[in-house]
Amino acid sequence: MSDSLKNSKVLSDKVIDLLVSNTFQKNGVNIDKAKKKLTDEQKQAFKELVEDLTKQVNSFVKQPSSKQENSK
Amino acid sequence: MSEKKWRALDHCDNNSNRNDADVLQAADQSAATEQESFEWIIVRDSEDVEVQTTDTQAAVSLQLGIQVAIAVVISITIGDTDQSKAVVQDLKQFMRTKQQNTQKTVIEGSKHVKVATTDTDVAVNIQALLQILLAIVAKLDIL
Repeated sequence: MSDSLKNSKVLSDKVIDLLVSNTFQKNGVNIDKAKKKLTDEQKQAFKELVEDLTKQVNSFVKQPSSKQENSK
Repeated sequence: MSEKKWRALDHCDNNSNRNDADVLQAADQSAATEQESFEWIIVRDSEDVEVQTTDTQAAVSLQLGIQVAIAVVISITIGDTDQSKAVVQDLKQFMRTKQQNTQKTVIEGSKHVKVATTDTDVAVNIQALLQILLAIVAKLDIL
């Protein structure tokens, strides 16, 4: 239990990559075409959004275990 | 705590689960995560007891935030088309998780006790969702 919490990645990157690739491929998505649809502004906004969500997830995951340590 | 009391609580859990699942399935379209928390912490005949528990509301907000981000990035890059809907639908199959926190903690006849509980299922699910989002944005050269 504590091991899975320490590791911020619960599934292997390869599995996730396969899932996403397969989903795009299955539905005939052209990745290169999709990339071009994003403006630089949108890219920046998403980058910030993802960084923010990552921070929130990390602090959420770490929170309970650190509290537990303090209480010992 | 007698056996009867525990049975009564379990029965309560089961009823609520069924009701919640029906309601959520009918209403939730973009983010099909069913998450229920039935954490019981009972403190009896005790003093100076400190309890820390997982913030389920924060977990649900985080999950929704990630799921919406996935839906938006796909909608923009692939367009609001049937193709885009099919991609989101396929990912939704994977994201669709049902989890319950049914921890029960009883503190009885105790003094100066500190308890911290963690809902591991919730934490793991959020991490997996974030990984999917990260993989999508990496594929689209956003990061």
